[in-house]
Amino acid sequence: MTRRRGRGLAALTATALLIGLYAPGAGAQTPAPTAAEDEKITFVYGDDNDIDSMNPWVGVEAPAYLMYALNYDLLVNFSIEDLSPSPGLAESWEVSDDGLTWTFDIREGVTWHDGEPFTAHDVAFTFNRILEERQGCCIDYIRQAETVEATDDTTLVITTRRPTLQFLTAYVYILPEHIWSDISEEEAKTYENYPNPVGTGAFRVVEWEEGQFFRMEANPDYWAGAPEVDEVIYRIYQNEDALAQALLAGEVDFADTLGAGIYDSLEGQPDIGTNEANIPSFEEIGFNAGADDTYGDEADGHPALKDVTVRRAIAHAIDKETIVDRVVRGHGTVGTTIVPEVTPFYHYEPTEEELIPFDLEEANRLLDEAGYEDTDDDGVREMPGGGQPLHFRYFVRNEKQTTVTASEFITDWLEQIGISTEVRGLSDTRLTNLIYDGDFDMFHWGWFPDADPDFILSVMTCGQRPPDGIWSDSFYCNEEYDRLYEEQQTTLDLDERAEIVKEMQRIVYEDAPYIVLFYDRSLQAYREDRWTGFRQQPADGGDLLAAYGPFSFISIRPKTTEEGGTGQTGATSGTGIPTGVWLGLIGAVLAVAIVWMLLRRRGAEEERE
Amino acid sequence: MGTRRYLLGKVAQATLTVLFVLIFNFFLFRVIPGDPAQILARAKHLPKEAVVQLERDFGLHEPIPKQFALYVEDTVTGNLGISYKFRRPVAGVIAERIWPTVLLVGISTLAATAIGLLIGIYGAWRRGSKLDLGSLGTSLVFYAMPEFWLGILLLMGFAAGLGWFPTGGIVTPGAGYTGVAAATDVLNHLFLPAVTLTLALIGEYALIMRSSLLDVMGEDYLVTARAKGLREALVLRRHAVRNALLPTVTLVALNLGFVVSGAITVELVFSWPGLGLLTAEAADVPDFPLLQGLFLLFSVTVILANLVADLIYGYLDPRVRAA
Repeated sequence: MTRRRGRGLAALTATALLIGLYAPGAGAQTPAPTAAEDEKITFVYGDDNDIDSMNPWVGVEAPAYLMYALNYDLLVNFSIEDLSPSPGLAESWEVSDDGLTWTFDIREGVTWHDGEPFTAHDVAFTFNRILEERQGCCIDYIRQAETVEATDDTTLVITTRRPTLQFLTAYVYILPEHIWSDISEEEAKTYENYPNPVGTGAFRVVEWEEGQFFRMEANPDYWAGAPEVDEVIYRIYQNEDALAQALLAGEVDFADTLGAGIYDSLEGQPDIGTNEANIPSFEEIGFNAGADDTYGDEADGHPALKDVTVRRAIAHAIDKETIVDRVVRGHGTVGTTIVPEVTPFYHYEPTEEELIPFDLEEANRLLDEAGYEDTDDDGVREMPGGGQPLHFRYFVRNEKQTTVTASEFITDWLEQIGISTEVRGLSDTRLTNLIYDGDFDMFHWGWFPDADPDFILSVMTCGQRPPDGIWSDSFYCNEEYDRLYEEQQTTLDLDERAEIVKEMQRIVYEDAPYIVLFYDRSLQAYREDRWTGFRQQPADGGDLLAAYGPFSFISIRPKTTEEGGTGQTGATSGTGIPTGVWLGLIGAVLAVAIVWMLLRRRGAEEERE
Repeated sequence: MGTRRYLLGKVAQATLTVLFVLIFNFFLFRVIPGDPAQILARAKHLPKEAVVQLERDFGLHEPIPKQFALYVEDTVTGNLGISYKFRRPVAGVIAERIWPTVLLVGISTLAATAIGLLIGIYGAWRRGSKLDLGSLGTSLVFYAMPEFWLGILLLMGFAAGLGWFPTGGIVTPGAGYTGVAAATDVLNHLFLPAVTLTLALIGEYALIMRSSLLDVMGEDYLVTARAKGLREALVLRRHAVRNALLPTVTLVALNLGFVVSGAITVELVFSWPGLGLLTAEAADVPDFPLLQGLFLLFSVTVILANLVADLIYGYLDPRVRAA
């Protein structure tokens, strides 16, 4: 799921998605439902982004992902405990000995929201459409498939060109054949999928007011059990302060992806629970490690940054602890490798010897040894043998405050090792293009990788370098790394694959085309006095609501009075001024108008006299 | 004859401006660096094949002159393109968001005009009185206050604090109200943003009215009116204010042009789903076709409002027509 977010413009989306990813739930504003049996239990979730499309082949914004996760199902789920593959619409699966044929047992008795039975044919239809039409949303998740076929209603057989595990992490929502087969490839591009987007999910969309909210009703027949709440409302608050106020007022039950300042102010407030969710996300300093390899003279990266010694010296000069404390106010952990620690099965943590600690002396020593000396005594080192000074263009994102704040610290440290920088803030769009063209020295950006490490690992492969590739932004290229990348894709033993994946992270850490500054936290706050039953994903410090799937939304429920709850799940405020007062106001305005007209008439008569 | 020429001249002027805006709008969005399809592709992580398809869909593969011709043709026929973000026709996306903005800014402008004029009239007539200084001072303080901040203060006090009003949006989600209850619900949501915007606008009207009334107060015709034995109140209402209204009417007409472009900051604070909020969302993506459509709409309404102001002015003051 994460893979969709990348960087660049993409990173815009990234933030959005990031939100979506773990899109939790909402509060109830409306006519305050109480826990009484005949009243609707509504959970209102507040966030700051508008849904862009309910069509899973089109939408990219976070709320869209939330809607897909609740309205649809995946073939194979990401488990709530640790995001490993777990049964979804497929109850179980097996792979042939040569690793080229996958057989999925499809769940029986599942129905679409409109009552039609769901079968393996729907899965085959969805996959085949995506493969045939090369749907950008999802083709990469199932690209290795050669044939996809439903041999009967409960069996799905996929053959592949080479061994792969990708179907176990395929982030592809299964669509109903009886509806989507009538939508042509051309129509699908702008198909709104509303009203009534039919899925198999735990909830179904019943109302959508663009720019304001969407409302989903529980699916009582959901195969994994009916949700405890009756409905979920996603409300858009474009302003974070307003969202925090709405939470305090009880108009929303859950506020997501808050800024550190707002989050800190909510922490410790009565009735408010908070959570720093561990999410797959990091921010890094990236270097131009060789754009001229693909662009020739057209790219103008600084030659010193092609030298791994210089990159490592810079890594020594950055105090990540300080960055975490001062830039994200402690809401994060020191970063090392490109697969975030939220997936411990794949994350690699460098050993004592491999670690590049904050050590300005060591940084200076490395640069001295490699011949980068300050020959003209201006405080800035030059290339070995004199010549071009170590003066780097350092780009930060105007749209992301952390990158701007961090640059103030980093430039200072770099100065102390004889490197001067020119910091420039750019829009994400502009920076994306500069990077794509290779016209930069270093930049600060972030990623929100998939639960599966494949995508983020692919970013560092030679083939991803522009102009032929799209995703590489460091122009890093290492044949051994590429070989391992292929190998991890075709290794079917999970433990073996994890070893390869870790080795790849070690190589990137050592070569330092990226300096991973920190792993992010997503900051969430909710009405602790009213709600319980949240299930974090992953179980250890993860998202409270909707990281990857509907699990938490199914189990959340109002606190009973025995649990210290108020027995109330709805808004306690926002009920406004009674109708009578409004009528009174209108009456008053009318009265004033009438008096005014009477006076006028009298005045006119007087003047005539 | 003079009138007709005046009218035709003004209309021609407005038409020319619209044409210029049309051309400017096209090139403005082509000067922005970066290939839109490429940006979009990276955002959505699309394979190469999809990029080519995108370029087709958005007509980006055509040479610039051809693109321009298509753009003019499309714009004139009301086809503003497909929004990158919503993947729907821009015209439809915009149409859905117009009414909330017109409601919010319209009501606020009316209220601010009425209150502002009263403050201005009273202030000029009783210049220097405590009430004059007090009301003018207060309205200027609100005028100078960032709308964003004022909005948040009101929201904290009356929505989160006292709980009288909702914290955002235009209706209560999922309530399914109808009839009077639905109208009341909208009014409840409208109240705080409208008050914020009204407070922010009052100062401007109060100042203009006050100074133009002060200008006419020394005029001979007021002496004449008094000599006829009219009461002060009548002199004020029938003679002074009527003449002093000219510049104010112009200001109101001009400001109406901005009713549609709305109040981005107020809409942001109160999550009011109007065009201001839509503009902010579009700029976030960035959704060029949508932004282009919005700019065009905003420009055209301002130009139309200017035209209306010119026409009203010509009607109210014959000297303008003769000139």
